[in-house]
Amino acid sequence: MSAPGETLRTALIPAEDLPSWLPWTAAAIVVLGLVLLVVELGRAREARRGRVAVTALLAAAALLGAVLRPQRLRAREVSLAPRVVVLVDRSRSMALAANDRADGEARIDVAERVARELRGRLGGRVEVLSFGAGTPRPDPLEEAKGKSVLARAGQASSDLRGAIASIAERHDDPPAAVVVVSDGRVEAGELAEHRAPFPIHAVAIGDGSPKDASIRAVKLAGAAVAHQPLPLRIEIACTGGLSCGELTVTVRELREREAGAVGADTSAVLASGTATVRDGSATIELPITLERAGTRAIEVALAAPKDDAIPDDDRRLLSIDVARERVRVLHIAGRPSYDVRALRTWLKSDAAMDVVSFFILRTPGDDVNAPDDELALIPFPVRELFTEYLPTFDAVIIQDFDAEPYGLTPHLPAIARYVEHGGGLVHIGGQNAFSAGGYAGSPLARVTPVQIPKLTGEQQPADTTSFVPVETAAGRGATILQDLHAVIGDELPEFPGANILGDLQRGGVALWVHPKRTTPSGQPMPVLSIGDVGDGRSIALGLDSTHLLAFSPFAAKSNGRGFDALFRGLLGWLMRDPRYEPVRGHLVHADGSSPCLAGAEAALRLDASPIVGPSHLRAAITPLEPPRAQAGEALPDTVDRELDGKPPLIVPLSIAPAGSFALRLAVGEKGASPSLGALATRTLGVCERGGDEWADPRPDRATLEKVARVSGGKVVAPSELASLPTPRAAIVALERSVAPLLPTWAWAALAAIAMSAHWFSRRRSGLA
Amino acid sequence: MLRRHFLGASTAIATSLIGARARAFGDEGAFEPKVLLAGGVTGAARASAPARWSAEVERRTSAAARRSPRAVKASEPTLLDGPFAYWSGTGALAALSSAELAGLRQFLGLGGLLVVDDADPASGAFGRDARRELARVLPDAAPVAIPEDHVLYRTFYLLKPARPSGRVQGAKTADAILRAGSLRVIFLAHDLGGALARNQLGTWEMTVEPGGDEQREQAIRFAVNIALYALTTNYKDDAVHAPFIMKRRATQP
Repeated sequence: MSAPGETLRTALIPAEDLPSWLPWTAAAIVVLGLVLLVVELGRAREARRGRVAVTALLAAAALLGAVLRPQRLRAREVSLAPRVVVLVDRSRSMALAANDRADGEARIDVAERVARELRGRLGGRVEVLSFGAGTPRPDPLEEAKGKSVLARAGQASSDLRGAIASIAERHDDPPAAVVVVSDGRVEAGELAEHRAPFPIHAVAIGDGSPKDASIRAVKLAGAAVAHQPLPLRIEIACTGGLSCGELTVTVRELREREAGAVGADTSAVLASGTATVRDGSATIELPITLERAGTRAIEVALAAPKDDAIPDDDRRLLSIDVARERVRVLHIAGRPSYDVRALRTWLKSDAAMDVVSFFILRTPGDDVNAPDDELALIPFPVRELFTEYLPTFDAVIIQDFDAEPYGLTPHLPAIARYVEHGGGLVHIGGQNAFSAGGYAGSPLARVTPVQIPKLTGEQQPADTTSFVPVETAAGRGATILQDLHAVIGDELPEFPGANILGDLQRGGVALWVHPKRTTPSGQPMPVLSIGDVGDGRSIALGLDSTHLLAFSPFAAKSNGRGFDALFRGLLGWLMRDPRYEPVRGHLVHADGSSPCLAGAEAALRLDASPIVGPSHLRAAITPLEPPRAQAGEALPDTVDRELDGKPPLIVPLSIAPAGSFALRLAVGEKGASPSLGALATRTLGVCERGGDEWADPRPDRATLEKVARVSGGKVVAPSELASLPTPRAAIVALERSVAPLLPTWAWAALAAIAMSAHWFSRRRSGLA
Repeated sequence: MLRRHFLGASTAIATSLIGARARAFGDEGAFEPKVLLAGGVTGAARASAPARWSAEVERRTSAAARRSPRAVKASEPTLLDGPFAYWSGTGALAALSSAELAGLRQFLGLGGLLVVDDADPASGAFGRDARRELARVLPDAAPVAIPEDHVLYRTFYLLKPARPSGRVQGAKTADAILRAGSLRVIFLAHDLGGALARNQLGTWEMTVEPGGDEQREQAIRFAVNIALYALTTNYKDDAVHAPFIMKRRATQP
């Protein structure tokens, strides 16, 4: 029974045990001998040249036969079509128009059509793969039908070098050729310099240059450090003959909207400038200063001319990780005390902390018995501190401070805004703190994690009964207090009293509560509470004696390290130190790669280290500004998902709109839904519609030609597929048999006889 | 930059009204010149001095202070009820017991501040013996003279001359043991308690020589500065205060 396309082949072949070079060498020697013989016979005068020549030919043939020992081959063979890999570029640049019209056919549509045509043209051994970020994947072209252009061109990069390397590593069935179907906006790397193990052809998708102004690149000159100027180098280009002239570039920081401020623009313009476009390009440097550390969302926007074809590449969204070289803390205290001493000593002991302190040492009622010039006292510069310098501080500590007498009250709105825009606030108790300090009903109360009750009648601002705080379940599990637990265990000292505080505010979390006192709603009264407020964080500590963790018989048991452990955790959490975040997560592409692209499936990627087993993720996603969404694009407001704890921890979301988002992430035990309060991790993420892929929207055939030239391939247009070289078919033998024409000894005997005959013939002809 | 702006700051405190002195919850964070009982000392050499010290701090500054300072034994945990202690005497000291040594070592190790006040500087026995015993507590720390530009002399009052004062004029400098740049033990040979001591009728108990009332006022100011150092450490060393202090020093006679 024969297979379809099967052929029977018979042939004479040399003995198969010979090295491949030997037959050719033997043939060359024989030919050389015959040539010498012709020359010799031409010079000889004697007759019988014909006999010598005949015997010489016979001897040469016999000798060649003895060396080659010919065999008869019979083989049943089939011819296989060559294996060809078609690589379809599914990066986001393929969502752009294939021609210079904004409403032209998308490049990905052309590419898919080309891939289908190639599959039909090249036969059944064509494998269609898509490439983008990561390794190439099988691309069932039919599944793309019905999906949007953005979804089909949904990869954030086009790593052609990686895709080719991945194909070349498959040794079992190497392709005869690779055909890249792309617009040429690819990362080719060394492919443009080193030959691939197979020819790389390309079908260049797209021609023409759209009329477009775009931000080609935003480059940061070094790492971003809080409070320090960071030059942004912004490259702009105008293509397709668009007349640009002077373009305004604006850099804004996008911030989370404070609770209740719907529709308010909370962004802040960091820098703005005008770029003059010459020869189609311009570069502008805009220094920005980011005051808050952590992940910050930055928008760089270009005011493009009217005929701009692609508005989405006029804006870049960046998420910048801002490091903190030093923590700048403003510490104000209403009077000196051992509690003030302990905190100041701790703050000053950290070389990475810049502390500016102001303590009220004298009140007008004090009888100093000395003129002012004999006092080392300075006026409290409240106006300068809270108008000019407030943003330069990472945290403000208000300790037992009466707001009204020292002129702080008019500045409480500024402090509240400072917190909402990313600052940190610690309000520490005492007889002049919270209600007694005039903070009830003030803007500062809005950013305090706990309600500050208004005092009426005979109400006291503090309960001066000694007590030991009770740690809440949140406190026991909080990373903020893990250092304290490690130092002093679960035991807390007895404190001499507490400020009377109300219920938790929205998002507030109580870590310590009073064992007896309750709030108006009947809940245990918070003593230590924390809260997320807008972009910032806030701590309320209704005690004035935490110095007992530094200096007391109780503190002696831990060598006074409890105070350090408590405030290291509190300040660390306030400053978003990753050590005190319960989980780290990023908004990414559905395959887990960065960045997230609008119009494609997005996901949350979590760092595995804090998640060691089955657990439950709860997340909230809040846009920093109204997202630029197309039909079907929306991220969920909240996510509840069980995690198996095995990396990679990628939680699929939905199709993302373009925009910047605040992410709140909390991980709890499996089956439980953790709170998204202040103990949740907060970070920022951005999704761009084009990103780097749209920075230069023009097709790049030159790159494809470089790659093809180095590998021996060819670049054609979609209309020239017929001119693509077709690789030769591969022959596979189904059955094969080999039989020698004569035994080896017979070949040797024939050679000996023929040589002898030739020798006699020469002698008789008078040749030597 | 910040400093320059502070020069023009408004004097908000001068026009504000403050009510009665608010005290800490249970006086826990208030200044308290606890009387150290150790080496055979059974009380303050000038019994009324600690309370007077507290009263002067409360009268002159915004700080709260315990009006009835306690006497605490070096061997008892109550020594750690606040980071300040006052050790005064007039005669020779007995060697500290091991419990007293351990208690003082813990007090100073946690960051406490001890003021040693020799009430009889003429004999100097107490001061000499106190140094001997404290050398046993902190064997690796030798006393050094407190320089006149030390923050101790400007924590509240700008003392001029920048020197210690007490019932007697004594040496121009005081010695101290420092740890990590902070004062841990201050040795006074000026009978500071003698200048502070006042009976219940409001009469000063001791004559201050040779400067009289002016010297007493200087001693009280020095005592207030010590208290403010105990409460705020080197706050007045902060750069923000420097231009004010330099300007005022320059204008003083």
